[in-house]
Amino acid sequence: MKTLRVSQPFGTTNVQVQPLARRRPSLGGLRVAILDNGKPNADVLLGRVAELLVERAGAGPVAVWRKPGSSHPATVIDEVAAAADVALTGSAD
Amino acid sequence: MLGTDAFVSLGQAAARALGMPNLQLTTVPHPIGGIDPKVVRAKAETIVDRVIAALTRDPATPTTAAPEAAVVVDAPADLDAFQDFAVAEGWSDGLPVLPPTEERVARLLGRLAQRREEVVATLAPRRGIATLEAIAVNAALAGALPEHLPVIVAAVRAVAEPRFNLYAIQTTTHPCTPLLIVNGPLGGRLGISGGANALGQGHRANAVIGRGLRLCLQNVGGARPGREDRATLGHGGKFSYCLAENEAESPWPSLHVERGFGAGESCVTVCGAEAPHNVNDHGSTTAEALCLALAGTAATTGSNNVYLGGEPLVILGPEHAATLAASGWSKADVRRALWERARVRLERFSRENRERFAVIDPARFKDRPLTDEVALCTDAMDIMVIVAGGPGKHSAVVPTFGATRSVTVLIE
Repeated sequence: MKTLRVSQPFGTTNVQVQPLARRRPSLGGLRVAILDNGKPNADVLLGRVAELLVERAGAGPVAVWRKPGSSHPATVIDEVAAAADVALTGSAD
Repeated sequence: MLGTDAFVSLGQAAARALGMPNLQLTTVPHPIGGIDPKVVRAKAETIVDRVIAALTRDPATPTTAAPEAAVVVDAPADLDAFQDFAVAEGWSDGLPVLPPTEERVARLLGRLAQRREEVVATLAPRRGIATLEAIAVNAALAGALPEHLPVIVAAVRAVAEPRFNLYAIQTTTHPCTPLLIVNGPLGGRLGISGGANALGQGHRANAVIGRGLRLCLQNVGGARPGREDRATLGHGGKFSYCLAENEAESPWPSLHVERGFGAGESCVTVCGAEAPHNVNDHGSTTAEALCLALAGTAATTGSNNVYLGGEPLVILGPEHAATLAASGWSKADVRRALWERARVRLERFSRENRERFAVIDPARFKDRPLTDEVALCTDAMDIMVIVAGGPGKHSAVVPTFGATRSVTVLIE
């Protein structure tokens, strides 16, 4: 087959792989943050999961933050990180 | 991170772009929105064990970042076989593309070749680096000519401005895409149509410039249809969406002059736009009369602008613009009149939507009587007004995404 040399159209990215925080073996007594992404019923899903983390794994207390709207970036990530040990957030719908 | 299974590809892409490809994403069956909260709570019960596991077990360490694709690759020389290749590799928008050979890319870049590595912008959601060369490769795929490249480069620069909110535009379920509005003498020199059928087929410059930007957004920005680009339906402008303002037939200052540029300068404005909705008015002979049809078309319950604000666009056909100007109206008068008349009664929104919008925009939706009305957007001066099109008694209303601001930049 005759071929052409063509340039791929993706370019490159500037993504650097980040280390994730070490997990703790138990959630007992850990502060839980909910970062509500603003989508309908995201608060219900995230809130119920957090309740169950308290009931079944002894986590708590739970605090809630909300994005300024689902279509806007979260501006409170540093605040959430400082105030919680684990965080639950939503992606998309 | 929690989500629904239908949107898992977007969550994964977000994690990758943040450099956390091993972040655990736990999903429930789609949807969670628009259903009884009791059902959502029941869905939460099904994932709690997985969430606990994700929070108490260290994730696997990613060995290395995904290798970058080779810069230059071999592709079939046969044009039909090349289409199969381009679709399989995810380079194409579905229409035939032209091979971005090194010769064609070099021709597009011309004297910019010395600056080929220059970074124009970083494009969401992938954080793809749009160098002049990467833009030129996509312009080559789109069939653009060298003289079109500066417009595409300017548009790439514009969409990456933070106030445009490209991440949301690229990934939303809403059918928006950047509409390019070209102002100034360059539009005429390049043959960018602002006349008859300007938003339709038949204008090479409009087609390839709009498409060049779209392919940059898909390929460099990484918004692949059905994966990161989550549009529920999309619209035809997602192939290409570009026109010039018909400055010669406009009775008013053009868009770029309103925004502080000189009439002799050439600019491109990007706005995150839906498809145009036609306004047919063959009867009205005064501004007051014509405004009824314009406002009636603009005031719709399902528009993002009505609850998110932003800048709805009104494209006035030259004959409609002449009717408005003959009544002595300026562009500001058109904006004010539309804002006063393009209103939706609160009773036309469902209770669930009123409750949702009251959280998003309490000033306009919270604790208001159902007989109150809301305007098509937050502020009259947010309405964008341009003149375009050919002979005929038609205009168009173009709702926008809402959580975005249009951006005008100089074409260099």
